[in-house]
Amino acid sequence: MQLYFTKDVLPDSVSTDFQNLNKFNEQQFHRLIQVLFQFLLEPKETERFMQQLTEFAGEHGMSAGPLRNLMKSVLLVPQGALKKNLSGEQIKDDLVTLGLNEDKATHFSQQWSEHYAALSRLAVAHTLMVNQLVDMEWKFGVTVGTSEIQKTGNIFLQLKLVVRRGNSTENIYMELTLPQFYNFLHEMERAKASMECFS
Amino acid sequence: MAATVSSEHFTNLQLLLKAPSKDAVRDVCVQSHRAASRRLAEATAATLNISTAQAAQLVHSLHVLSHHVVFHSLSSPEQILALFPASFHSSLKNLITKILLENSPTWRTEAAGDHISVPQLKHVDWRVDMVTGSDSLSRMSVPTCLVQLQVDDPCPLAGGESVSTVMVELSRESLDTILDGLGRIRDQLSVVAGK
Repeated sequence: MQLYFTKDVLPDSVSTDFQNLNKFNEQQFHRLIQVLFQFLLEPKETERFMQQLTEFAGEHGMSAGPLRNLMKSVLLVPQGALKKNLSGEQIKDDLVTLGLNEDKATHFSQQWSEHYAALSRLAVAHTLMVNQLVDMEWKFGVTVGTSEIQKTGNIFLQLKLVVRRGNSTENIYMELTLPQFYNFLHEMERAKASMECFS
Repeated sequence: MAATVSSEHFTNLQLLLKAPSKDAVRDVCVQSHRAASRRLAEATAATLNISTAQAAQLVHSLHVLSHHVVFHSLSSPEQILALFPASFHSSLKNLITKILLENSPTWRTEAAGDHISVPQLKHVDWRVDMVTGSDSLSRMSVPTCLVQLQVDDPCPLAGGESVSTVMVELSRESLDTILDGLGRIRDQLSVVAGK
């Protein structure tokens, strides 16, 4: 079986699951797909997803267990498709290859195209960042005197950067003189201008 | 009212009368400002033809005097001349005053830069990368900014490094937020500067 969304060999149970999907009528299928996409857009809401499937199973006189397994198989398709940046057409082809009938496959691929932008943004947010800056705090003031100079009036700026290192965060403290601050501001503006070229 | 420098220091300073030249006096003054080291005492003893013990006292007194001038920001000849006792050798007094006035702006700037503080930012480097793929999306096109901050710790912990380099990655939103914050700092600074 040649599939776009994965190169792996799928277990037989997946084919069976997709054929079973055909047994739902249009209204039931639409509801299941709605639940599925709601979960894809908010992947942390696993409890809610399970809850909705259990309710669905109850409403339509079927056992929750097999329904959950079925949906797990169905999930493989959009998850793989997202990684591979598949188009609506490609996903429809894959579903048909897996045994889903034309109408249902078309509906699924329509929903996919509608939600694709949001799903991509979610995937981008999951892309790893190294030493990501989480927070920046600052204070500035005037040095009134030191042990070397009794009366002075130098402005200083202190920055605290909070950086994510793996699971924990690290605080980095630094002090800038006024010229250093203006230089830093200037460099960050240049970086922003450079980033905007790419948008 | 500025505190005074005690008279024993000026007694030591009169040893400078044995210096071979004005430049020699200048050298000793400038070097003793940094630190009163043994090597300096020995070199001074040789130049002035005095004992090392006497030279050490001289260097120490010069150190006290120059730091006093910087601490109290004495910037006019009259202020410095007022420190010397009346009996002090007049040309030497003028020479020392002149040397102190010449060097104190530099010394003040050094002292201002050298005070205790949290690590200081020395250098900023950045680069903008285009992320074209990841494990969650095989094709993507997202710009990201990497900033390298070189931070110098003037008082590192025992065994700690003095210069450290921090790499930080910023998304577009983070960079916008940072610039927002920096802009506010700049506005606040102009308000303070305007007062």
